Amino acid sequence: MAADNPIDPIHQFEISKIAEMQIAGIDISFTNSSLFMVFAIAATMTLFILGLSKRSIIPNRMQMLSELSYNFIANMLRDQVGDQGRAYFPFIFSLFMFIFFCNFIGLIPYTFTVTSHLVVTFAFAGLIFLAVTIIGFMKNGLGYLRIFYPSGIPIFLAPLIVPIEIISYLSKPISLSVRLCANMLAGHSILKIFAGFIVMLGFLGFAPLIFLVVLYALETLIAALQAYIFTILTCIYLNDALHPDH
Amino acid sequence: MKFFLKIFIFVLPLSEAYAEGQKSAGLPQMDISTFPSQLFWLIITFTALYLFMWKFVIPRLSTTIEERKDKISNDINDAENLNSEASKILENYDDKMNSASLESNEIVSSSKATMNEYLDKLKKDNEIKINAMITESEKKIHQQKQQSEQEIKKATIDTIKSIVSKYVENVPSDDEISKKLN
Repeated sequence: MAADNPIDPIHQFEISKIAEMQIAGIDISFTNSSLFMVFAIAATMTLFILGLSKRSIIPNRMQMLSELSYNFIANMLRDQVGDQGRAYFPFIFSLFMFIFFCNFIGLIPYTFTVTSHLVVTFAFAGLIFLAVTIIGFMKNGLGYLRIFYPSGIPIFLAPLIVPIEIISYLSKPISLSVRLCANMLAGHSILKIFAGFIVMLGFLGFAPLIFLVVLYALETLIAALQAYIFTILTCIYLNDALHPDH
Repeated sequence: MKFFLKIFIFVLPLSEAYAEGQKSAGLPQMDISTFPSQLFWLIITFTALYLFMWKFVIPRLSTTIEERKDKISNDINDAENLNSEASKILENYDDKMNSASLESNEIVSSSKATMNEYLDKLKKDNEIKINAMITESEKKIHQQKQQSEQEIKKATIDTIKSIVSKYVENVPSDDEISKKLN
């Protein structure tokens, strides 16, 4: 039985209810997933409350950290989208901090990774996709449809290019959400599997232990990298919506 | 490699669950019954985070960063102003030094010139005076010489007269004597 197996790599992704809740017959119980979402925003808020408590011209460590993250996302948005992206900065910044902390909290043993669930990442990706499409049509009108027909393509290639562009546009939310979710799922499962090997091999367990340490470092990198990729792709999609000509 | 591992991880529990005839779909990610709760809490937590970021973090951080930028640019401006002022002062100083040295050179050369003039004048005056004195003394010497010559002549004549008068009755006149003497 999977649930009884101590080294079941999937067990860590199971959702268990903490407090039962229902609205209009729909189950919205407070689960471990919800708890770790709260942890993620609590971590973000703690970082910024500490960082902003003693604001000064010469920052202390926490202020430096919050300013670094601010500048990191602000520069990313400015580089990708330009000054028009300023209005979307709060969303992009919150998105990055949320995914970043969900990924990192998930690296701690016995925790739950919110972003390893496709529904969460797809909710973000779908929201971004819808928002970007609406922004694109609002800013450019029907001219937004130009993104399906890049300039400089001969007209006889249009029947080939346009469907490909439409498919690639529609697959954006899927690739965006699956990339993050699958990275988290695969990474954490492999960590769990190798941790299980350590127990199973007993004395010889040092070999997978070394591997696990290396893998953990890699997963730490991936946790940051995937948050970055998710955010920068959001910026790129936003840029496409604001400037469909290139 | 990673791709295959991912597929493996995805497929393994699915097939396992299928084989064991589990009621759940195997992967907790595929359990639709948890979706409403996850979405609900995601909306709540993310909205809270968004509002926190939007209303609290970003205004404060951006003002702090702007303030710092302003401060730095002000400080740089001040430093540049001070620097230009200092270079102006240095230029002024150099100018003053140059003009002062020019002036002093002028003063030195002019005073040298006046000194030389004075010396030349002094020299000339003295030369004239000396020359006058020389000519005067030469005249005096000449006069005295003549005078003494005459006196000697007269004395000689007198002496000769007196000597001659002792031996000869017919004493020659002074003119005769002087003719003879010459």
